[in-house]
Amino acid sequence: MPEANIYIIVPAYNEQEMLRIVVSSLIQTGYKIVVVDDGSDTGVSPFLNGLPIQLLKHRINLGQGAALQTGNSYALQKGADVIIHFDSDGQHRVADIETLLAPILSNECDITLGSRFLSKSRPVNISFFRNMVLHTARYLNYLFTGLLLTDAHNGLRAMNRHAAQQLVLTENRMAHASEVLFLLKKNKLRFKEVPVIIDYTKYSKQKGQSSWNSIRIFFDLLLHKLFE
Amino acid sequence: MSAIQVLLISAFLFTALYYFVRLRNRIADVLLLFILVAGAVLFILFPGWTNFIAQKLGVGRGADLVFYTCIVLFCFVILKLYSRMRRLEQQITEIIRKETIEEAEIKE
Repeated sequence: MPEANIYIIVPAYNEQEMLRIVVSSLIQTGYKIVVVDDGSDTGVSPFLNGLPIQLLKHRINLGQGAALQTGNSYALQKGADVIIHFDSDGQHRVADIETLLAPILSNECDITLGSRFLSKSRPVNISFFRNMVLHTARYLNYLFTGLLLTDAHNGLRAMNRHAAQQLVLTENRMAHASEVLFLLKKNKLRFKEVPVIIDYTKYSKQKGQSSWNSIRIFFDLLLHKLFE
Repeated sequence: MSAIQVLLISAFLFTALYYFVRLRNRIADVLLLFILVAGAVLFILFPGWTNFIAQKLGVGRGADLVFYTCIVLFCFVILKLYSRMRRLEQQITEIIRKETIEEAEIKE
């Protein structure tokens, strides 16, 4: 796929300086950046002044899943060939994007999912509790979808146009990571896990979700299955 | 008729009337409502019936049977409400998404 039209979707909610740092580093890749402001209290536009990006703004806060889907819909409308999801809190590394893209550009698979447990080095700074929650979530995902992955709730993923058209996320909040698995199984998409590094910084820990939120995710999934 | 019977029956009838006024056009809802209220009024007028049914089912006391049935009904209602909430949330999401993308188009 030479000259592929690549879009990076960055969902942002109440992000400030860190968003500018993340977006600035993403611009270096040369791909098109779409920041989706998920109804932040004060708006994120002051922190993106002068950067060559497209800003989409939800009028009210809907959740990360909804923000990603808005980004997907927009990118598809613009003729995107590949869409990448990238968190705005600085926990992902720009260098991992190429790892995610390679199997898609060579048409080896439709979607690549980042996995923090695939890399040779163990995730640094991950708390014991978070580690435990993630591994429990892996097996719960397995129960729900029949797919046993090495990581459960990694926000870093890339997909081709075909996959993005099939993966219409209806889970507005954090359950989107599992919903992606439901949908890729249902639509028989080819997927691959690739090793990525998650940086557990003080900031990303504080901005990111608490491990207790996994209970909420679990109930969202249960209801999703119930009302499918 | 004892005081509690009058109180309960009038409360049920009042609630039924209120619902009836609000849910005008859905015949299935009206029917369900009618059956539930009729059942409630009958059991209030003849409390012995619940005892009879309860004993047949092996519960013992009629009041307990009513209590258990209420729990099941409540769970059902909560699930129904949840599903409606999710539907509403999805509709709101669709609207906001459409608006968001249209706004971006205008700015370009």
